[in-house]
Amino acid sequence: MVDVAHVSTLVGVLTVGTSLVLGAYVVAVLDEVIGARVGGDGGPITTALVTPWRRGAILLTQQRLATERPDATTWAIAPATYTALAAAALTVVPLSPSFVVADVRAGIVLYGAAEVLAMIAIFLNGWSPNSVFGLVGGYRFVALAVSYTLLSMFVLIAVALPAESLQMSEIVRAQQGLWNVVRQPLGLPLFLVVASGIAFWGPLNLADASDLAGGSSAEASGSHLLVWKVARGAMLTAGSAVGATAFLGGWLGPWLPGPVWVALKTSVLLAVLVASGHLLGRMRVERVVTVFWTVLLPLAFLDLALAGLVA
Amino acid sequence: MLAASGARAPVPVFTAAGGGAGDALQDLCLRREIRLVDSPRHATVLLVAGRLPRSLVRPLAQVHDQLPHPRATVWWQAGSPSEPPQLVPGMTTVAAGQDAAVEAVVTAHRELLRGVRASEQHVLADEPPARWRGVGPHGQGGEGMMGGRPYGRPMPMTGPDRDGLELDQVRCTVGPFFGPFPPGLALDVVLQGDVVQEATAHPNPFAEPDPSPHPAGDAPAHDVFRRALTDAVPVRDLELARADHHLRAVARVADLHGLRAVARRVVRTAGQLQPGQVAAVRSLRQRLERWRWPRWALAGVGVLDRQVASRTVAGPTARAAGVAVDARSDDPVYADLGFEPVTHQEGDALARVRQLLAETEQALELAARAAGRHRAPGSGVEGPRGALTPTSAGSDTALRLLPDLLAGREWGDSVTTVVSLDLDLDGAVSPAVAAG
Repeated sequence: MVDVAHVSTLVGVLTVGTSLVLGAYVVAVLDEVIGARVGGDGGPITTALVTPWRRGAILLTQQRLATERPDATTWAIAPATYTALAAAALTVVPLSPSFVVADVRAGIVLYGAAEVLAMIAIFLNGWSPNSVFGLVGGYRFVALAVSYTLLSMFVLIAVALPAESLQMSEIVRAQQGLWNVVRQPLGLPLFLVVASGIAFWGPLNLADASDLAGGSSAEASGSHLLVWKVARGAMLTAGSAVGATAFLGGWLGPWLPGPVWVALKTSVLLAVLVASGHLLGRMRVERVVTVFWTVLLPLAFLDLALAGLVA
Repeated sequence: MLAASGARAPVPVFTAAGGGAGDALQDLCLRREIRLVDSPRHATVLLVAGRLPRSLVRPLAQVHDQLPHPRATVWWQAGSPSEPPQLVPGMTTVAAGQDAAVEAVVTAHRELLRGVRASEQHVLADEPPARWRGVGPHGQGGEGMMGGRPYGRPMPMTGPDRDGLELDQVRCTVGPFFGPFPPGLALDVVLQGDVVQEATAHPNPFAEPDPSPHPAGDAPAHDVFRRALTDAVPVRDLELARADHHLRAVARVADLHGLRAVARRVVRTAGQLQPGQVAAVRSLRQRLERWRWPRWALAGVGVLDRQVASRTVAGPTARAAGVAVDARSDDPVYADLGFEPVTHQEGDALARVRQLLAETEQALELAARAAGRHRAPGSGVEGPRGALTPTSAGSDTALRLLPDLLAGREWGDSVTTVVSLDLDLDGAVSPAVAAG
């Protein structure tokens, strides 16, 4: 007899695994398409659809290089950890009223925890290879992560208030009448800033920046680099999926089934994040810290205070 | 199947720019067949281009050995009169134009992945930079607890930082093939975290005596500015070349800040410039300003005050700091065209980018107004990086400026500063730098 618990675990693992790979793939395709549009290169969509697989194939055939005296264990663990954190974040996203891989009571806190722990994965990826650019990239992320996670905390608490719950499915149900993006207009933009920070994307790509020849992944090659890139795309997807759930009403919507709505809303947010990478240049470290502490954090306070008043 | 699929992907290429090859390599960003990467460890093909003095061959070998297997090297003459370096057996050499270079890169990549071509072996022995095993009381390569040189490298010692704390210092050399830097520039850097404590520029490698049959002084035939020193040249050609150069410099700044696609658009615009075609450049400028990244990334970075700028830099870099010097001001042809130098006052990287864009628009307007008029040789020529004379030193003084300009700055700001100064070591050869 097949145990029901085993089947649901299998379904959960398959769902998260698929969203992880699919998310990273969608990010890569969007990056090709939007990059071509901004760069004015045009080109057929089929190229954008196959290029990510082909690039992945190169990395799979490439040697995984070692550096001089790396911490090999932590170096191998880093991309795996980052992937696992993206996966953990995806588990709490409800795809429909009845299907959530892990509808834990404090789902939104679990996502917040994944954001905080990402700092360790990114730092280890930069520190372990024993190289200057990697180390600087890792430290840059650590220096900025406090700003990201503080901001995230306030924004996420604000969406929990109207739902009177930290559970993701309850947060969606509370948006039945009015989505949080309208109820808390500051929330979604602030949340997207955090999501791009955690995936060190676009203007907040300081950890893997080109002024550090790739920063925390400057020394990575072959399969290591592939896992790192996939994990980064997956983390961006996780951020977008949580954003779609917390602010855009998750599965709510007419005509189409719930999971389709979640996928559509997530894709829209992903497109916004990917486009920001092509339109907004990387910010200076000093500027990021100043903007976060003097502009965005007060806005997050305001967001929370307004949410509290309304609730 | 993996190999077959990977063989059809855009080739990840790490470029190593020698003298006279910067622009040719920049143009490659427009080719879909290849993808330029930031680190040699992300590439399958190392594309070496241009003139490589002997002192650059060993650093090049160090870059080569960092590519993962399977790997191949292609050397491309890239329009610069030069000979291929003795780097690695089996290296492909290309003397023809861009298409031939791209084809050689793609072929090398495909052959590697299909197993037709053998991956290149290490050029250098895999050994520490200095002997250290068994040296010193603990075999750590030196004296005392912190004085050793484990793995042949000095231990990171502590030093006071800008806030008065004692922090570890990391010493490293960046360049001469660091992507964002101009060809040939290498800096010895002492870093504390993300902050540059000290930066010392290596001597200009292009200033060393060159035994090759194509010495450094040879002006490539396409360098209209050098030709203008001796021949009558159409003003239109000079100004179009200036606009092209300036837009390329802007593209390099955009590329450094992660705006690869924007940089591609700028490089493409540069290649298609026509006299009077100001609208395209103006819309580009408005687009850049609208997205505010120049302000976020460049304002207040690498500030040169007017006094320092007037002594050390020339051309648009000096004019961005309020030094209204331009050889065109004394040129009768330009006086007839109503030329007035454009300036900015701030002297930072933002002002330099705005200066380049403003001068691009101005150059296109001048080119349109000049029609068929020629500029007579004799007086100084205003090159894209300042006045040219037969013995002009160009960026050499700017090179000596770097230690002061970079000390105490964050690494990201330091790279932005170097890139925004638009240095040209190859065209700036003078005996002073070779000696110092």
